[in-house]
Amino acid sequence: MKDWIDAFYVIDFLSVGILLTALAMNGLNRLESCVKAYTTNSWLLSLLIVSVAFMIGERHLYLAGIISLATKGVIIPLFLRKIVRQIKVTHEVEPYISNALSLTISGILVAVVYASLKEGIFVTGFSRNVLQISIAVILIGLFIMITRRKAITQVIGLLFMENGLFLAGFSLTLGMPTIIELGVLFDMLMGVIILGIFAVQIRRTFASADLDRMTTLKG
Amino acid sequence: MEPEQYFYLGLVLVLSGAVLSLIPFRKVRPYLYILPALGSLSLAFAGLNVLSGHVLLISSIQVSSFFDFSFRGDPLSGFFMVVISALAFAVSVYSIGYSGEMKNQGFMGFLFNVFLLSMYAVVLADNIFTFLVSWETMSVVSYFLVTFDRNEKSARAGLTYAVMTHIGTAFIIALFLVLYKQTGIMDFQGMRTAAAQIPDILRHVVFIFSVIGFGVKAGIIPMHTWLPKAHPAAPSNISALMSGVMIKTGIYGFLRISMDIMGSGPAWWGIIIIIIGAVSSILGVLYALMEQDLKRLLAYCSVENIGVIFLGIGASMMFKSHGLDALSSIALAAALYHTLNHAVFKGLLFMGAGSVMHAAHTKNMEEMGGLLKLMPYTGLFFLIGSVSICALPPFNGFVSEWLTYQALLLGFQSPSVIAKIISPLGGAALALTGALAAACFVKAFGISFLGMPRSNRAEQAKEVSFSMISGMAVLSLLCLAFGILPGIVTAHISPAVHALTGAPGVLSKNGVLFVMETVTTLSPGLLLALMLIMFGATVLFIYIAGGRRKTMYGPSWDCGMPALTSRMQYSAAAFTKPLKIIFKRIYLPRRELKISYIVKPLFVKSIRYSGVITPFFEKYFYTTAGNVLYRIAGRVKLLQSGSLHLYLAYILITLIVLLIFGT
Repeated sequence: MKDWIDAFYVIDFLSVGILLTALAMNGLNRLESCVKAYTTNSWLLSLLIVSVAFMIGERHLYLAGIISLATKGVIIPLFLRKIVRQIKVTHEVEPYISNALSLTISGILVAVVYASLKEGIFVTGFSRNVLQISIAVILIGLFIMITRRKAITQVIGLLFMENGLFLAGFSLTLGMPTIIELGVLFDMLMGVIILGIFAVQIRRTFASADLDRMTTLKG
Repeated sequence: MEPEQYFYLGLVLVLSGAVLSLIPFRKVRPYLYILPALGSLSLAFAGLNVLSGHVLLISSIQVSSFFDFSFRGDPLSGFFMVVISALAFAVSVYSIGYSGEMKNQGFMGFLFNVFLLSMYAVVLADNIFTFLVSWETMSVVSYFLVTFDRNEKSARAGLTYAVMTHIGTAFIIALFLVLYKQTGIMDFQGMRTAAAQIPDILRHVVFIFSVIGFGVKAGIIPMHTWLPKAHPAAPSNISALMSGVMIKTGIYGFLRISMDIMGSGPAWWGIIIIIIGAVSSILGVLYALMEQDLKRLLAYCSVENIGVIFLGIGASMMFKSHGLDALSSIALAAALYHTLNHAVFKGLLFMGAGSVMHAAHTKNMEEMGGLLKLMPYTGLFFLIGSVSICALPPFNGFVSEWLTYQALLLGFQSPSVIAKIISPLGGAALALTGALAAACFVKAFGISFLGMPRSNRAEQAKEVSFSMISGMAVLSLLCLAFGILPGIVTAHISPAVHALTGAPGVLSKNGVLFVMETVTTLSPGLLLALMLIMFGATVLFIYIAGGRRKTMYGPSWDCGMPALTSRMQYSAAAFTKPLKIIFKRIYLPRRELKISYIVKPLFVKSIRYSGVITPFFEKYFYTTAGNVLYRIAGRVKLLQSGSLHLYLAYILITLIVLLIFGT
């Protein structure tokens, strides 16, 4: 089966899938579909980890993959769905710029990453694309945070960034010690819960989950 | 007992004073000030031992491999320890009575003791790290003490103080960074030997930074603006400490950096200091004259005395650069003597002002008057303080100002022409200052204590408690002792002077002071005897010439007006009006006269007069600087839009730029 993974470029396919789900965020207008995009992204990420684990036979990577599947692929999406329903803004992502422009800029970001990391400082062996893709996902996540108005899209952007970071760390070191990965995941979970609560609170206080209203907080 | 043991005993006593103050025992709390009083006595012994040549070695406390708290006592620190202790003892005793009616006594006691400790730490610090930590502790604790009475006025005063003192600290940190960068050494011992190799231009930078940095704390003009705000805002026992010794830590820091570590520089350093001293002393006393608030008056007067001290230091630095070590040592001895004296009499005066406020519940002199009859002891001690600060024999101010004159006038011996011009000019400035200071304290004492009470509150004043009186009495005795026995003081100062200038300073034998053995001598003891004889002779003469008289009591001569009232007295503003007219170019006074008539122009219903003087430096210097700062801040604020998305965009742009150009 190892040859099978190698021959069909499974890892490259999975990482491209991760990039595509991130890019897809630019074109989605409904919050629920954003959550779905994130869920897909997380599943692909976990699958990638598991297949790499299978290839090099590291046992603790299986654990990392399964735990990230459980948190990022199941718990966080469920929680996000709940918040999306609670704050009752099922659609209208309300970006500042049009979808086409935002997609173009994201594309440029990917190109910039590929251009500047062409020489490569890395390559742990299993793919030549994973690091570039992971950094591109980080930047796209940040870009989504910048261009979207709703507090909940900020959270999703942040989660994409975290997935990118996880992938970057993974591609450079073939997985950090389990305890650190566990810690990061737990932080993530807590972060999402807190941000979710904040999003609800912001809506309650400003009668809108629109972050523009928060400029009035400035002294 | 060894000096170290005295030191640790004192430390433990003051520390326990700080800790015990926080324990809620209402009744005993005022008496806890006995602990810092005893502690400062013990520390005074340690300081005296250090002055006599014993090096105080205190084991250092390692914080990390790079930083440690290290303390070391050399003669200069020993001298300042003694100065702090002398005042700390008296103020602690005074505080027993003074703090009785305060709110928040526990917090006060805690801050008081920590403040004392931080000042000792500043003068004993032996490396950059220790010095800066102690210095900042002192600043922060004194900020809390300034804002101790929770009201808007003290909050504003505290803000001014905090801003000014941190500007000073910024310069101090900068100068230490320069020194550390150039020498690579943290502790003062090593820095002293390594400092000789620093390039000239950086030595000048260090000097200028030390003038600004320590000048803010010392309160030289134009960095004096916090003094007249902060000192009146603080409780009086604290203003006594702040004005008496805290501003002296500025002097200490300046001496430590510019004279000790840098080992004095070219002549223009000294000349700058002389000019600063002259300007501070004249303007300080001029502003003091115009004050109606007793504590503000005293605060401005501190500016003046710091100026006098800087005159001595400047002369010392100038003579040193010309190689006149003996003269340099005399000037420095004069400066240090005046440092000690100012601590003693300014502490005394602030405590006196505190007692008056305690009894009459006002700071405004226009509401006082006639207090001498109601508060005879306070009045007497305030008078002693006033006479001392006016530099009249037989009290201590006379000796130190006399020495400063001698040092400045001996500038004729200097080879350089500029020095020959500058130093007598400094002497002239000192002479003017002395005369104006005398006028100022005639006003301060005369308006507050003599005449008739100007308000109801002043009428109901009562003498303060025994401990407050004894606190003032201690300092009054010191004023007298340092005035008639200067030999003891100069003998103790001379190790510190010797360490900085290489000459022993002022010599004394049998109670007679010698300036350079031959030039001039002063015997305060004989002077006192002469004064007493003259006084006795005058009394005797009057008695003999005038024959026996019977004292008769009758109504005052009232110019045909029946029943004199207190409103017919000279007021504080009127007393200094002539000076206001003479110096109107400096004061830039503005007056406002409001007259309302019943029938114009003959029948006047009421006249209101108000006159203010323009605070030159605040108005033209600080306000302008503040406005410029606000404008720049307004520009920078555009970055700070409050929009979360914009902040995130900053991050994204930074990341992309780093990604492209970072590799």
